Amino acid sequence: MSVNLKETNFFASKRMQMWIFISWFNFAIRYRKTILGPAWLLVGPILFIAIIGRLFAQVGGIPEEIFIPHLTIGLVGWALAEGFVMKSTTVFSRAKAQILQGGMSLTDIVMVDVLSTIIYFAHQIVLILAVFLIFRLSVTPYALVSLVGLAFAVANGIWLTIFFGILGARYRDITEVIQAIMRIAFLATPIIWIPGDTGHGGLMGVFLVFNPFYHFLEIIRAPLMGEPIALLSWVVVISITVIGSLFAALFSHRFSKVVPLWV
Amino acid sequence: MGIEPKRAAKTASPQPLLHVENICLHVPIFQASDRKMLTNPGRFLTDLYLSRTKRGVVTILENISFELKPGDRLGIIGANGAGKSTLLRMLAGIYKPSSGSLTVNGTVKGLFAISLGMNPEATGLENIYMRGLQMGLSFKEIKAMVPGVVEFSELEDAIENPMNTYSTGMITRLAFSVSTMIEPDILLLDEWIGTGDAAFRDRVKARMDSLLQNSRGLVLATHNAPLMKSLCTHGLVLSKGKMIFYGELDEALDAYANNVHARP
Repeated sequence: MSVNLKETNFFASKRMQMWIFISWFNFAIRYRKTILGPAWLLVGPILFIAIIGRLFAQVGGIPEEIFIPHLTIGLVGWALAEGFVMKSTTVFSRAKAQILQGGMSLTDIVMVDVLSTIIYFAHQIVLILAVFLIFRLSVTPYALVSLVGLAFAVANGIWLTIFFGILGARYRDITEVIQAIMRIAFLATPIIWIPGDTGHGGLMGVFLVFNPFYHFLEIIRAPLMGEPIALLSWVVVISITVIGSLFAALFSHRFSKVVPLWV
Repeated sequence: MGIEPKRAAKTASPQPLLHVENICLHVPIFQASDRKMLTNPGRFLTDLYLSRTKRGVVTILENISFELKPGDRLGIIGANGAGKSTLLRMLAGIYKPSSGSLTVNGTVKGLFAISLGMNPEATGLENIYMRGLQMGLSFKEIKAMVPGVVEFSELEDAIENPMNTYSTGMITRLAFSVSTMIEPDILLLDEWIGTGDAAFRDRVKARMDSLLQNSRGLVLATHNAPLMKSLCTHGLVLSKGKMIFYGELDEALDAYANNVHARP
């Protein structure tokens, strides 16, 4: 929608500049006035891990050096997923001013939101590093597969934000639905519990394979924990990415021109 | 996302800047009955909980066609709610036509809602960068423009302070200076901008005149007939979303007057 200057030589890099700067800037503004600054992003999870982590490890009879890393990676990964999903439904209504001024395209608005979620997430990676250092866990090159999982998560964040952004702009109910689902999804995903040796035990039993968050988390977490990834997880993650992207593309092709009317 | 307006290749002049053919705009709406909230609170609540909000489609613009040739200045005339602002937003590429075609040759910039979208927690300087990036400028280009913007807005002393310490006038000045830092081929105006104290108003007028001089076309929506006469060459009369006249300005003003008087 940038119908203004130099449309013909609107370099990709210029757009990147816009995305990165605006998302980083919004982040900086938010924490500038606080004393701890972005360190606040770590306070909540640290408390949670220190208290709930040790408690649950004792209750469940799981060694801390297994449960605490499991919990930490789970929480940090969940923060990314939750950021993408929860913010997606309001992405366009929050950017109403930018949309109505005609400066930023809907793609720009989506990318800025996705990037700011990634910025928040990037800060929390420190927690994983700290836990690995504290428990002196060894990491093999296999752990790098986790980055592939992360890439999948981000790709899904993009289509999700487009898809639910459009849906949420039209039907405000979607925000409520998503909130209700995410609360249950947190408990249904093995973050504060361990599914057991078989991979589908634990509280949720066989239903676990139907939880998409579980498969995404597995691909990010298993490599770091030195565990194998089930073929099913790859299949689910890749299918969701492909099908979701297709859906989002169709959806935006069909509806993006009416979004400015809905916000 | 397919969100750019249809755009022909840039070629030499005789091509029209804007070519609008039979565009319509239908908008989905919620008919929330706010009045019930006051007159019949019980009913308002039951409607809310029983999801009785009516959804419908409203036609805001219907079959509008015109052409803006280089040098043309088009005035859009119409009563409140006739669809003037919506038409401008459509020309700016914000709203996409539900049907019909809109071809734009050149760069378009609309000056609407210029004070919106500023971050009150950020400093004036940071807001200049934010808005600049949103307008599609690069960091380097903005950096070069900053001194000019700061000088024009007369905010040299306050530019490093957060915007929430600014007075209303200061915010308007900054918003105006930022919004006019680039000069488009086609300028879209929803009411003429005249703002600030007497001294600043003169500068605004000078800046607006220079924007006009450097643009190749103008579309202006205003209720101010003398202003329109002094600026525009053509007129387009809207009534309830329908185009009832398009042609020379004088004839358009007559047509509008007749239309108003024709109504009981």
